[in-house]
Amino acid sequence: MVENVVELSAINRVYEMGEEPLYALKDLTLSIENGDYVAIMGQSGSGKSTLMNLIGCLDRPTSGRYILNHKDVFELTDDELASIRNTTIGFVFQQFNLLSSMTAIENVMLPLVYAGVEKEQRIMRAQFALQQVGLDQRRYHRPTQLSGGQQQRVSIARAIVNKPRILLADEPTGALDSHTATEIMALFDELVEQGITVILVTHDGEVANRASRIVRMRDGQITSDSRIRSQKNTPA
Amino acid sequence: MGARELFKIAWQGILSNKLRSSLTVLGIVIGIASVITLMGIGEGAKKEAEKQVQSLGVNLIYVRPGAASNASISQGQGTAPTLTYEDAKAIKETCPSVDEVAAQYNSAFQVQQGEYNTSTTVLGTDPAYPEVRNFHPARGRFFNADDMKECRRVCTIGDTVREDLFPDESPVGKQILIRGELFQVIGVMEKKGANQMTDMDDQIFIPITTGYSTLFGLNTVTGQAVKMVLARAKDGQDLQAQFQITNLLRLRHGVKTPDQDDFQIRTQMDIMQTAQSITGVFSLLLGATAGISLVVGGIGIMNIMLVSVTERTREIGIRKAIGAKFGDILWQFVLEAIILSLTGGLLGITLGMIGSDWIGRFAKWTCIVTPFSIILAFAVSLAIGLFFGIYPARKAALLDPIVALRTE
Ligand SMILES: Nc1ncnc2c1ncn2[C@@H]1O[C@H](COP(=O)(O)OP(=O)(O)OP(=O)(O)O)[C@@H](O)[C@H]1O
Ligand SMILES: [Mg+2]
Repeated sequence: MVENVVELSAINRVYEMGEEPLYALKDLTLSIENGDYVAIMGQSGSGKSTLMNLIGCLDRPTSGRYILNHKDVFELTDDELASIRNTTIGFVFQQFNLLSSMTAIENVMLPLVYAGVEKEQRIMRAQFALQQVGLDQRRYHRPTQLSGGQQQRVSIARAIVNKPRILLADEPTGALDSHTATEIMALFDELVEQGITVILVTHDGEVANRASRIVRMRDGQITSDSRIRSQKNTPA
Repeated sequence: MGARELFKIAWQGILSNKLRSSLTVLGIVIGIASVITLMGIGEGAKKEAEKQVQSLGVNLIYVRPGAASNASISQGQGTAPTLTYEDAKAIKETCPSVDEVAAQYNSAFQVQQGEYNTSTTVLGTDPAYPEVRNFHPARGRFFNADDMKECRRVCTIGDTVREDLFPDESPVGKQILIRGELFQVIGVMEKKGANQMTDMDDQIFIPITTGYSTLFGLNTVTGQAVKMVLARAKDGQDLQAQFQITNLLRLRHGVKTPDQDDFQIRTQMDIMQTAQSITGVFSLLLGATAGISLVVGGIGIMNIMLVSVTERTREIGIRKAIGAKFGDILWQFVLEAIILSLTGGLLGITLGMIGSDWIGRFAKWTCIVTPFSIILAFAVSLAIGLFFGIYPARKAALLDPIVALRTE
């Protein structure tokens, strides 16, 4: 029996727009096991990003219970959430979200800066993360001097540099061509093998088929949840 | 997070838009430089005033008729004068802490010499006057005790009067007509310039006794009025002298309680204090004027910081998404504001000192930059950074991470 890193129960996320409240997530319950590889699919507007933001502690539910890594997120302060985003979670965005004024390695080091890691340690770990994504030759390039796939690798390096338990990726290949997308997906496979829990949102069935479990959503609710293969990796 | 890291992040923020940062700094530079310069001008005025008061003579005590509370006691005919030449003599003879006394009575008269004529102040006084006032004849001499005793019609004229009446000849030994009375010029005073109240050079000095018998036309039965008695205290005995004069005059005038005093005593110290308080107000006004430009500079900083926060909303969102806490973002922007304003402050201090130096050199106005004004300018620029930086910084730190991330 594997423990759950994410336990969402009866989650609502409501936006007050005009007269009728809009339920971006509606009475949603979902658990994700440690080390699992989950793909979330669904139409545009079905609430996938909203769900990812909640899991990633960028947002809070309107109601419901969220236990992350045995902690009740509801009880945490903003600064404690920031600290969780810093250490427990790595986020990969569709639009990369790199700081354009910084070089690749500076971008990768940034989470370590906020974690208070010493400078030498930072450089070492950032170089290692860049190596993992195969980009250590480009460490002094700025984002504008990198291709889309390379920028996404930098952002993955930034997401894993502080050794998170969970990697969240909201359409990580959405802005990339299929060849580059395959390369990025291979990277995710490796991370899963290293024991990181990966949750990704995608519209691409091929991408989703690399995961172990596929969750489909519509109108803020889960419509199907299927395991297509057993966990690739069963962490201790 | 360490202070060094925060400082580095703030510094990168400043460098990322150099032109904008420089313009912001410029606003503070101008504000601080004007504070330094204007305070320097104020300080210069203060020193100048002190110098002038000092030049009136040291250890001086001024006794005037009239009560302090009862501003204008009539000096008209029929009223007995409240301060007389007899009082002046008594002060000189009986107050041990007073070493010289010069009584004064002055009035304006028409004066004539050949084809020239002018209207000027005729000052009747004692031979001790030059000594007491520290104001001496440049040519010829001042009148002496003999001239006084015999009420001689002699006079020593001020430099302006000399220019008016004797534009191209030496006046000593010549005669002039004061309101039709003939006087012999025995000396010319050195040039002294104007002090706060009178043009010292536009005066004619005559023995006060001669004045009473000829020009002033005062009734000797009720006593010979004086407009002022200048007493010089012995060194370090100002207070004793003041005390002795007060007691003597109360005794002579039959004054029982201080509020019935029919004379006023002022010391050099009082005058100095008045002058200082006046120039103090002057400095304050200048400082306030400069302060306004500082506030404008500060609002400039706030404005720029607000623009910068808006422009960098996405950056803030990214930083928050990867773990920046409230304080990290707050300090990033507060430090940016402080670095900008302190840089402006330091440059402003330098520019202000250069400006003061120029004013001193080219406008011939003493402009004194005190360490106090430098420290003040520094502290003020720090405070401006903090005060005007904190609002935009708080705004940035409170941004919701997903809202910030969604911003284009
Ligand atoms: N800040 C917001 N204010 C109001 N409504 C919002 C907000 N964010 C999301 N929504 C609404 O919530 C619903 C779910 O949005 P969400 O972004 O989660 O969709 P999604 O599944 O990620 O779509 P896509 O595949 O296009 O990214 C949508 O109807 C959207 O309009
Ligand atoms: Mg989405």
